[in-house]
Order: sequence, then structure tokens, then C-alpha cells
Amino acid sequence: MLDCRNLVVTYESTPVLQNLSIYIGAGEVVALTGPSGSGKTTLLRCIAGLEVVDSGTIFLSGEEITPKPAHLRRIGLVFQDNQLFPHLNVAKNISYSLMIQGTKQKLMDEKVAEVLELVGLTHLSQREVFKLSGGEAKRIAVARALVAQPKVLLLDEPLNGLDKELHARLLADLGTLLRLRGTTTLHVTHDQDEANAIADRVLDIRNLMSH
Amino acid sequence: MITSYRSTSKWLAFLPVVVMLTFVVAPALNIFIISLNFESFAILTAQTTQSVVWFTTWQAIISTILVLFFAMPIAAMTANFDFFGRRALISLISVPFILPTVVVGAAFLEILPTSIHHSAFAIIIAHIYFNFGLVVRIISSRWQQINPHLDDVARTLGASRTRLFVTVTLPLLKKSLQSAGLLVFLMCFTSYGVIRILGGPARSTIETEIYFRAMQLGDVSGALVLSILQLVVVGVLVLLTTQFGTRKSAELSQMVFSRIRKPQTSGQIIVIASVALITAVTVVMPLVSVVRRSILIDQQINFSIWQSIFIDEEIFRSLMTSLKFAVFTIIVSTTIGLLSACAVTYGSERYRVLNLLTALPVVISAVTLGLGLIITFDIDPIDWRGAWLMMPIAHCLVAIPIVMRMISPTIRDLPNGLRDASQTLGATTWQMWRTIDLRLIKPALVSAAAIACAVSLGEFGASSFLVRRNNETLPLMISRLLGRPGEIIQAQAYAIATLLIVACAGIIGVVDYFGTEKH
Repeated sequence: MLDCRNLVVTYESTPVLQNLSIYIGAGEVVALTGPSGSGKTTLLRCIAGLEVVDSGTIFLSGEEITPKPAHLRRIGLVFQDNQLFPHLNVAKNISYSLMIQGTKQKLMDEKVAEVLELVGLTHLSQREVFKLSGGEAKRIAVARALVAQPKVLLLDEPLNGLDKELHARLLADLGTLLRLRGTTTLHVTHDQDEANAIADRVLDIRNLMSH
Repeated sequence: MITSYRSTSKWLAFLPVVVMLTFVVAPALNIFIISLNFESFAILTAQTTQSVVWFTTWQAIISTILVLFFAMPIAAMTANFDFFGRRALISLISVPFILPTVVVGAAFLEILPTSIHHSAFAIIIAHIYFNFGLVVRIISSRWQQINPHLDDVARTLGASRTRLFVTVTLPLLKKSLQSAGLLVFLMCFTSYGVIRILGGPARSTIETEIYFRAMQLGDVSGALVLSILQLVVVGVLVLLTTQFGTRKSAELSQMVFSRIRKPQTSGQIIVIASVALITAVTVVMPLVSVVRRSILIDQQINFSIWQSIFIDEEIFRSLMTSLKFAVFTIIVSTTIGLLSACAVTYGSERYRVLNLLTALPVVISAVTLGLGLIITFDIDPIDWRGAWLMMPIAHCLVAIPIVMRMISPTIRDLPNGLRDASQTLGATTWQMWRTIDLRLIKPALVSAAAIACAVSLGEFGASSFLVRRNNETLPLMISRLLGRPGEIIQAQAYAIATLLIVACAGIIGVVDYFGTEKH
């Protein structure tokens, strides 16, 4: 499904990714761990097409996507701080990708309702995003990424900064949601317990690089 | 409200309230009262007035659209890319905005072909030049507040760069575009110096018409009616846009990131270098033409003009007058601006009325302010029309809104914990203010003082009404000299304009130096 081979990224002559290779099968949930500054976020950004790799190749479903711009890759990305569009309400945030694709309003409404139900926030569809609680905002960020039907979903420490109880609840919900939809997922975290709880496989980024 | 200073607000607000009521509110009310005469309003139906209003409006609209159009790419560049000379470019494009309008007018008189002098085209070009830097600064600083991760999310959700701009960036810039657009529109709608120099007798705006009617036709009541018309239009616009702008809140988060990055591709480098170069040349060209004209007599380089401006008694007196008024304006407007900003920040809700009071000179416009002052302070024992003090007071009134708005955000953003810490360490209220507030707002205070200096050096609108034989300032002198024939006299005007350009460049240097993070 997602196959990254020998990725090399250097920032101002400091190597960040050194010959990194990783494979994730279809529908698989893989957790990627590693210390701060080890290149986890950089890897996600390269896969999403937001960073250019110095060398190496990325294949998605057998097709090489390394030169493809981010908006044509169909790879979803959820940030630690959600990054909901502040000028759009919940429903419009979720339907953003559908609006970009030119989807008809009726179909958009249906899909938004469906995914809101999935994350249990149907009643918030018209709310301004800056009025959401931390947990609600996380769910909306995931819902927004899922509506775009990405081939791969990248989660960049999505549960960071939540209190223990909310963290446990969202982790369980997220795991259920990803498996229910069979979404191929690369979940970055520095929390080993979180990684073990959500993933089919747990990888340490340091073991993916060859020097 | 800051609890530690709560009780001080009424004392802090006293002087600003007295000054604004006496020198702004009373003259403005006086304009209304005097012109409450049915016959005076007949001027509004006159063909001449209607064409003046029409010209004022359409040139302001076109100027605003074009300023936004030209400023957008530079704002995008300075908000997103870190390139060699970025800060210098931002400082450079800011110079025209603080240049005296008379100097901008003179510069375009020099570089534009004679055939288009006194045309709408010349006026619009000068307005674009004058306001461009301000708009770039407003939009660029807002753009820098947009979290770059929002761009990333939009891209991963399928938005191309164009769609990203249209669906995310532009909506998030909407408020800054509105406020920049409104500011430019107001500047162009109430434009005076540029029109006086470049408009000639054929092109008149409401502002120049007010002057013309009051000072040349002696039709004070007609001038007052036009002042009211302008005041109403500007007031309604400000009110509408302020209402519009307060519907939503908390759209942009505090900045904890930087979207500025080095250009990555050679294409980006070429585009940035080209745009920066073209912009710099466009800004510098009119300024160089002013300097060039100041040393050119009969197409020969001649530095004697520069000697003459320091020897000529009249010019030297103007120079001294301008400097004296600038010092007065710095002291008074910075003091009143600081007092107002402190009163609003430290006090309860009701002190916010000072925000409105200190904004009045912007709404009223400098020319109307000048007219209001001479019709109000004209009866004993307050017949101050001939008093030298009236002109620097007018300069202060024009500067106070800017000074206050430069200081206010800094005071508001000071962490209250610092004051609490100071108090628990034994500081009295005065010691706390001196060692915490004053110490931390000093850079903003210096920048505000520098801008007040620029305002005073360039003020032309109110000064036109308040000028007396012995208190002509440099912009008034330039305007008078430009209206007289003779190569040497014209060159003298350009030499004085050069002095003002150097002063303004220095002021921008001070503002940008104190605006850096280390301060």
C-alpha cells in the first residue's frame, strides 16, 4: 500500500532522515515512535507531499507519488493541534475537501452528517470551531480527514496534550473508527502505551534508517 | 481592567478628555451649529459641488482598489519568505506613507510628464505611492499570523495553491483587507496635500474645496456644509466597517510559529528578487527625482541652492518653526497618547470612550479640524486665531490617534503577573508603573514619538488654515514656492522636500529599529 524507500532529507546540512524505508499494508494501523527530533514529523510531511525529499521514492498502491504535489496525493494528515480552519464552522471544516472536489451540496450534507454521527458530534455541526472543547476539536479534525477518503491517514501525535481520561477515551474511539473504516494509518506518537494500544505494528523510527 | 492601577484611571483620563473636548469636540459641534442654516445646504445641490463629490469618491475608490492590487504580492512575499534585504525593503516601502503629502505631490510633479500634471491619473498614482507601504504592512503582519499548518491541511485535503489562497488565506485576510481598504479609502477621500499640488485648479476634492471656499471665496458657511458632508460620509463608513468587523472573534490564534521560510526553488528566488527590485526602484525613483531637482538649475548641477536654504531668512525661519512644532508635538501628543492608552487599559469599560474621543481627529480630517479651530477660537477672551500655539496644537490632534494606537496594544499585552510580582517585592504603584509598564513600553513610546514627529513635520491640511506670517512650516513653504515661477525658487522647494525625505527615512529607521524583537 504505502512503500517508502531510502528517503533522505537534510536541513541545512543536518541529516534528518537517512535512508529511511517503511512499508504499511492496506488497512494496517502502524504506530511510529521515537524521541523528539528524530524525524517522525518530517517523515509524515514527506509522505503527505509537504516536504521535498533529497532522494528516495514513495509509492502508494504501486504508483510512485514522490513528484506529485500534496493536493493530488489523497493522503490525509491530522496535526497535534488539529488546525481546524478558524473561518469555517464545524460542518464546513468537515466538508472542505468535498467542496474542493466540487461535490453537490446535498451529497456533502449527507457525508458530513454520516461522519459527524461516526464521531458522535452530530449536534455540533453549525458550531464555530473556536468554541469547541479540546476533545471535540480532535474528533472534528479526524472526521475532516476521513471525509476526504484518504488512501492513507497520517496522524501526528493527535492525542497530545489531553488529560488522562479524555486521552484514553479518544484513543479507544480512534482505534475503533480506523478499524471500522479499514483506513491505512501511520500514527506518530512518543507514547509507547498509546502506540501499543492503537497499532497493529509498532515501529521505532531509528530502526527504519540505515546509515 | 488592571486592578493594580484601577484608581488611577480618572486622573490619567482627565487631561486627554479636556484636550479632546476643547480642541476637537467643541470645534466639530461648532461647525454643526453654525451651519444649521437651511440656506447653507443649498450648496449641496450645486453642480460644482456634485462634481467635486463625485470626483472625490471615484478617485478614492479607484486608488483603494489599485493600492490593494499592487500591495498584495509584496505582502505575500514579505509574509512568507525570508530573503536578503527583507527588512530593508519593508522599511523602504514604509517611507512614502510618512512623507509629507506635499513632498509626494512635488515628487510626482517632477517625474510625471507635464501633459499629465493636474490630472486624475497623477493623483491616483500619487495616492498608490503614498499608501502602498501601509497596506503591505497591515496585510503582511496579518498574513504572518496565519498558521502555516492550515495551508498544509488544506493541501492534504486536495486544495491546489490557488484554491488554498481563495478558500483559506483570503477569508483569513478579510479583516485586514477591510481595514486596510478602509484606511486607504479614507486617506484618499480626505486627501488634501496631493490634490493641492497635483490637482491644480481643475481637480478638486471635498477637502480642497473646503479650503478654497473658506480661505479664497470667503464662503465659510459653504465650507462648513462640505465639512459636515465629509464628516458624515467618513463617520458612517467607519461605523459600518467597525460593526462589520466585530461580528466574529478569535479567528486567528496567538503567533507561536513562523511561516517565513527561505525561498526553496530557483523560480521562487528569481520572482522574489525581481519583485523586490522593481518595488525598491519604484519607491526610490520619485525620491531621487526630488533630490536631483534640488541640485539642478538650467540642467546644470548646482549646490548653491542648498546653501541658500540655510541663508534665506524666510526658509530658515520655516525650518526652525517646523522643528519647534515637531518638538512640541512629540512631547504633547506622546504624553496625551500615553495617558489615554493607560486610562483605557487600566480603567473599567467606561474609559473606552477615550478610544472614540481620540479617534475623532481621524474622522474629522485635518482640514475640517483647522477650519473648526479658527471658527471656534475667534471671540475674546479666546481669540487665539493669531496665537502661534494653535498650529502645533493642531499637529498634536492629528498625531494623538496614531500615538495612542501605537502604544495601546503594548500596554494591553503586558503580562499582569509582572506587576503582581513587582508589588509582592515591595514596589509602590508608581514604582511598579515606572519599572514595569514604562520600561516595557519604552520601545513603542519611542516609535510613537518618532511618528508624531513625522506627522508634525508633514502636516499640511490644518496648517493651511492656521498659518500666520511668522509661523510658516516647511510643507507650507514648499507649497508656496512650488506655486511661484523661477528655476531657483522651484529648486529651493525641492531642497526643502529633500530635507523632509531624509528626516522621514530617519524616522522609519527609528521606528523599525525599536520595533525589532530585541526591544
